[in-house]
Amino acid sequence: MSTPLQVYEPFKAGLPKLGRYWKSLWSRRTFIKEYAKSELREQHFDSVFGQLWLVLNPLLLSGVYFILIIIIGGATDSARYAHLTASLFLFYLVANSLTGGVKSVTAGQRLILNTAFPRIMLPISAVVIAIFKFLPTLIVFVVIKAIVGSPFTIQMLWAIPVFLITIFLSLAVAITISCINVYFRDIASFLPYLTRTLLYLSPILYEASALKPSLRAIEIVNPLFPILDSWSRVVVQGEAPQLSSMLQGLGWATGIFFIGTYFFLSREREFAVRL
Amino acid sequence: MSSLSVSNSHLTNELAVSIRGVGLTYTTSIDKKPTLKSRVKSLGRGTKQTRVVRALDDINLDVQYGHVLGVIGTNGAGKSSLMRCVAGILPPSQGRIEVYGTVSTLLALGVGFNPSMSGRDNVFLGGLAAGMSREEIDGNFDEIAEFSELGDAIDAPMRTYSSGMFARLAFSVAAVVRPDILIIDEALSTGDAKFKEKSLNRVKELRSDDRALILVSHAMQTLRETCNDVVWLHKGKLVQRGEPNAIIDAYQEFLHLGKSAVIDEDF
Repeated sequence: MSTPLQVYEPFKAGLPKLGRYWKSLWSRRTFIKEYAKSELREQHFDSVFGQLWLVLNPLLLSGVYFILIIIIGGATDSARYAHLTASLFLFYLVANSLTGGVKSVTAGQRLILNTAFPRIMLPISAVVIAIFKFLPTLIVFVVIKAIVGSPFTIQMLWAIPVFLITIFLSLAVAITISCINVYFRDIASFLPYLTRTLLYLSPILYEASALKPSLRAIEIVNPLFPILDSWSRVVVQGEAPQLSSMLQGLGWATGIFFIGTYFFLSREREFAVRL
Repeated sequence: MSSLSVSNSHLTNELAVSIRGVGLTYTTSIDKKPTLKSRVKSLGRGTKQTRVVRALDDINLDVQYGHVLGVIGTNGAGKSSLMRCVAGILPPSQGRIEVYGTVSTLLALGVGFNPSMSGRDNVFLGGLAAGMSREEIDGNFDEIAEFSELGDAIDAPMRTYSSGMFARLAFSVAAVVRPDILIIDEALSTGDAKFKEKSLNRVKELRSDDRALILVSHAMQTLRETCNDVVWLHKGKLVQRGEPNAIIDAYQEFLHLGKSAVIDEDF
């Protein structure tokens, strides 16, 4: 008799059994894929014009910010425009993970109340959606780069580890903020201010090297700073990134990931009574 | 996670669910939507933000295969909490629950978590979240759609559904997917008269020797007709268990009189 037996007992404070949790999460990976697909379809990103909008939207944004740079009197050469678009597009990967992730758990209320599944699937899905939205902008950037004639080098392969660190950071912030939002539902309304502040504290409208020495503290407290700096070096200038920046970015991502995930996993069993 | 739609074979009277000394206490926020703003504003006032709910208290219950168990009780008796514990959605605070088989975790309102998506997408996503594979859902989908009688509306966003259509789709999912243990929470009392009859017939069809059914309902006549065992919960405690007519009579007497011989001052 191969009847599956499940036992439910009181849980101790802290984490669930991670091996079992991971197995249960892995067996539901199709959910994450399908959820992202239906969400994108619902936002019409499966149509030609939807895709076009995905590309047009960041292009218009970078155009607006470029005008801003011209007005406030920064450098306005083509390399600067390439730096702006590259950094802005990657920034929006993290920002979209935040805005998509914040309500992922509270919006999944019905599902959480009626189905047993690893709740962390919901913020992970939000990050997958953000990645899908990011990919077309990558093609736009390659076209811009070719037009402004910035060099394509072998060092650009560094873009892969930088991108992976960014995804790791995106996951970390999405998991953390989705959990905080269960306890404080107005976090979502603060989010635009948070992302806007992050945007200005990151080397997007300016280059990392142009930062005044008195403002160097920004470099240390902004998790995105080292990542965006490395990204610009790699994809715009075609140089290898500084190892210290890579490690700093990875350190931030790992730190937020472990704290946020611990918080999420140790709390998720009471989400059903908190929603 | 074993598959939901492949039933394992069971012998009648074999144990399906064993609930031993289960208690459930949880802390929940008093505000419907707790906010940072209200938290900051009430700082230093000492107002309580959370309250402790004692939903279940020392419940002992066995459910055997081949049985149809009805669960009755007033609002707030702990019926839904108990069902969520059996389905693994809420871990109990005390005691132990053993479930021998697959449980349909698609309770009454599990489908439709994303109202802007179509009924079809919601059925798929609900099934995938419950641990079913794509193929399993594909294999059952036509039957679900047909049973729900939604027609073309299955591809319309669920926010355009009436509450009756909503309930019909939810019931269809729960009834078509064939788990070892099926929990139907309140779903029988929704929908129009015709669908109500259809779903009742479906439940009668699903009564088989190698399946355990648990029905939570306020429709006493339905329970009298379908169950062979009824438990009565009151304020988180198990009051009585036994033959449906006797328990339901006692419960209805209690409802009318506000008191009952079996409920003493302890409650």
